[in-house]
Amino acid sequence: MLMARPATLQSPVRASRISLSKRTSLLGYALVAPVVICLLILVVYPFIFGVTISFTNREIGTEGQFVGLANFIYLSKVPSFQKAIVNTIVLVGTVQTMKLVFGLGIALLLNQAIRARQFWRGLILLPWAMPAFVAYLTWKLLYLPQGGAFNIIAVGLGFGNIDFLSRELAMPSVILATFWRGFPFWVISFLAALQSVPQEQYEAAAIDGANAWQRFRHITIPGILPVVLVVVLLSTIWTTNSFENVWLITQGGPSDATMTFPVLAYFGLQTLRIGEAAAVSVAMLPVFVMMAFIGVKLLERNQE
Amino acid sequence: MQPYDERQDRDCRRNSITAKRAQWLTLPAALALVVAACATPPAAPAQPQVPAATAPPAAAEATQPPAAPQPSGKFTYWGGLIFSDVANQMLVDKITEWGKARGIEVDVVMINQNETQQKVSAAVEAGTMPDALDMGTGLMQLLAKNGQLEPLDDVFKQIGEAHGGWLESAAKSVDPARYGGSVWGIPFGLSGNLINRRHDLLSAKGFNEAPKTWEELGQMAEAVNDPPKVYGMGFALSNVGDGNLTVTMLQTWGGRIADDQGKNCTIDSPETRTFMEWITGLYKKGLFPPGVTTWDGAGDNQAYQAGQAAFIANPGSVYLNLRDNDPELLAATRFSGLPAGPKLQLQPYGPNVRAIPVTSRYKDLAKDLLMYLADDEFMKEYYANAIYGPVLNSQVDFPVFKASPIHVGLLDVAKNGTPPAFPDVDNPAYAEFNANFLIPKMIQRVVVDNVSIEDAIKETQAACQAIYDKYK
Repeated sequence: MLMARPATLQSPVRASRISLSKRTSLLGYALVAPVVICLLILVVYPFIFGVTISFTNREIGTEGQFVGLANFIYLSKVPSFQKAIVNTIVLVGTVQTMKLVFGLGIALLLNQAIRARQFWRGLILLPWAMPAFVAYLTWKLLYLPQGGAFNIIAVGLGFGNIDFLSRELAMPSVILATFWRGFPFWVISFLAALQSVPQEQYEAAAIDGANAWQRFRHITIPGILPVVLVVVLLSTIWTTNSFENVWLITQGGPSDATMTFPVLAYFGLQTLRIGEAAAVSVAMLPVFVMMAFIGVKLLERNQE
Repeated sequence: MQPYDERQDRDCRRNSITAKRAQWLTLPAALALVVAACATPPAAPAQPQVPAATAPPAAAEATQPPAAPQPSGKFTYWGGLIFSDVANQMLVDKITEWGKARGIEVDVVMINQNETQQKVSAAVEAGTMPDALDMGTGLMQLLAKNGQLEPLDDVFKQIGEAHGGWLESAAKSVDPARYGGSVWGIPFGLSGNLINRRHDLLSAKGFNEAPKTWEELGQMAEAVNDPPKVYGMGFALSNVGDGNLTVTMLQTWGGRIADDQGKNCTIDSPETRTFMEWITGLYKKGLFPPGVTTWDGAGDNQAYQAGQAAFIANPGSVYLNLRDNDPELLAATRFSGLPAGPKLQLQPYGPNVRAIPVTSRYKDLAKDLLMYLADDEFMKEYYANAIYGPVLNSQVDFPVFKASPIHVGLLDVAKNGTPPAFPDVDNPAYAEFNANFLIPKMIQRVVVDNVSIEDAIKETQAACQAIYDKYK
């Protein structure tokens, strides 16, 4: 019985003409194949499809014909498109700056040994946990010029009625709501990064006489920089693509004061002209590519 | 040292080999699953023949399943959500009842009517359109133009014959001569804006009758304007459907969106200037509530129900809310048709239709359902809970069109209203113009951005022409 064992074990090996390393490689490829296929079908194909139809006059239910840059030329003449460019930059730039400053500040605070720290950490997550739809509708109700909570307070304090959705205040109102909804993600990410910075480095720096700013500048920032870069990159893409924040509060108004790319693309779909709607989205592509490129480069440099 | 256990060794080898085999066996299985999950759905089953499809609807049919072979799969219907939960549920129940009678499983999905266009767009592209659905004639027109709807001339004729004929307004809404040679949708209700006014406030100022003209309405609004408690003009000037009431207003001033051929924009006109001076003048006098330029579809509802607007234009949802929640305010409210402008009086009706996509797997069954839903007994109860005007002559005498003030108004709209877009040409360019809310935006440019009326008109003219040029 014992003699028979090696023969039984060796027979499949002998039968195979593929080496062990090749078999391992093949197995690896086979294991990642489902993910690759899914990515090709769910990400690459829609992406190429979207770019392709942006160069056609395709309408819902028709194949459409190649029209070159006609959709982009038409869009460039639409006043709403020009405003969408400026508004998207203002919205994303301001919101991301606020998230970075406040997110980092709050994360540093929550990283200290403060009272009821776990409670505050849980509380800070609430805006992020709340469905975007509910969050932005709530903000809309708060902003309402008539019967809105902010206005009831403003009138009560003697400031009179304030139109938070007027031309001057609509964008700041959308920015505040977008910031509120998104900053917990930054806080939690930064907090996790802060906790991964070795405590010994701070102790050693303190012994060497480094003050708080020097410790922050030379230990904390380098320690959390990779996380900061990833968070900035991801959040910038999400915020640029965000639709509910503008749609539920202002529908892009008043007079395009808060019109952004996603809202404009949504308007494009109203008329079933998906070629044009796709062109609005594709117009944002160079910005995303640039952001991704810069993000990856910064990460690479940081790793070096 | 542990003694050698032969059985353990054998089991171990078996497990090792089994694990290796399992690895290789699971891979094709996983791949198959991925491919299956991502693959397009199987081809539609053959169209079942349903004899009942050609028979007029009758209550008795509900208990008699057809003798034809039973269809496999699920029949999907997309109903348009309205403000009445009772009416929504009635539609679901009626279709479910029909499904049971026909021996087919039905899936009724009620969707927000503001989202219909986007859902249909995605569904057409994905090949997941339902077997029948509710929509407005604007979407019907766009889909029919692209060959996405089944012609329904036969169903339209049969339902008309079974119910004493179609009202002229309903027939015009789907007139083959206007919409590509066929009937593409079966009307089931006409929407229309009615003026809701605060009679208690107005009568205190000596205004006991409904305003006959928009200018008169403006004067009455000014008389009762008492900010921040009450604002006279509760009309949306924002980028939502309600904001397009300003298009109707403009047309009553004699302004036009495009020429009689529906090819070139004619917004830049003296009539448009006069209208713009009127409406922006009222805004600058503080007659519009703050925030009116960013109102959503419920903005006028909220303002009126909160007692903060003296006049609004609403298709009936405010009436339903007041009836159920605020009888006092309802008693203080009066309903009337839209006033006239200096040149025209317009009362546009908005037809709602049921349509069948060309991709429907059960076209004959879907036609049968449309006839089933036209049943007078069902519609009598449905209209009592919904906020639609009638479409068939047999429906005109339903009690609700005599008892409820809003339904009396909707009946008037159905009998005497004007077709959508009139006096403009109702074509895809006009639909896109409206979808971009260019008239409310023109007003916003003046009252929000302080652009001159002249410049706002010229900008809008250019934007409008750019849209119309695409359809030439």
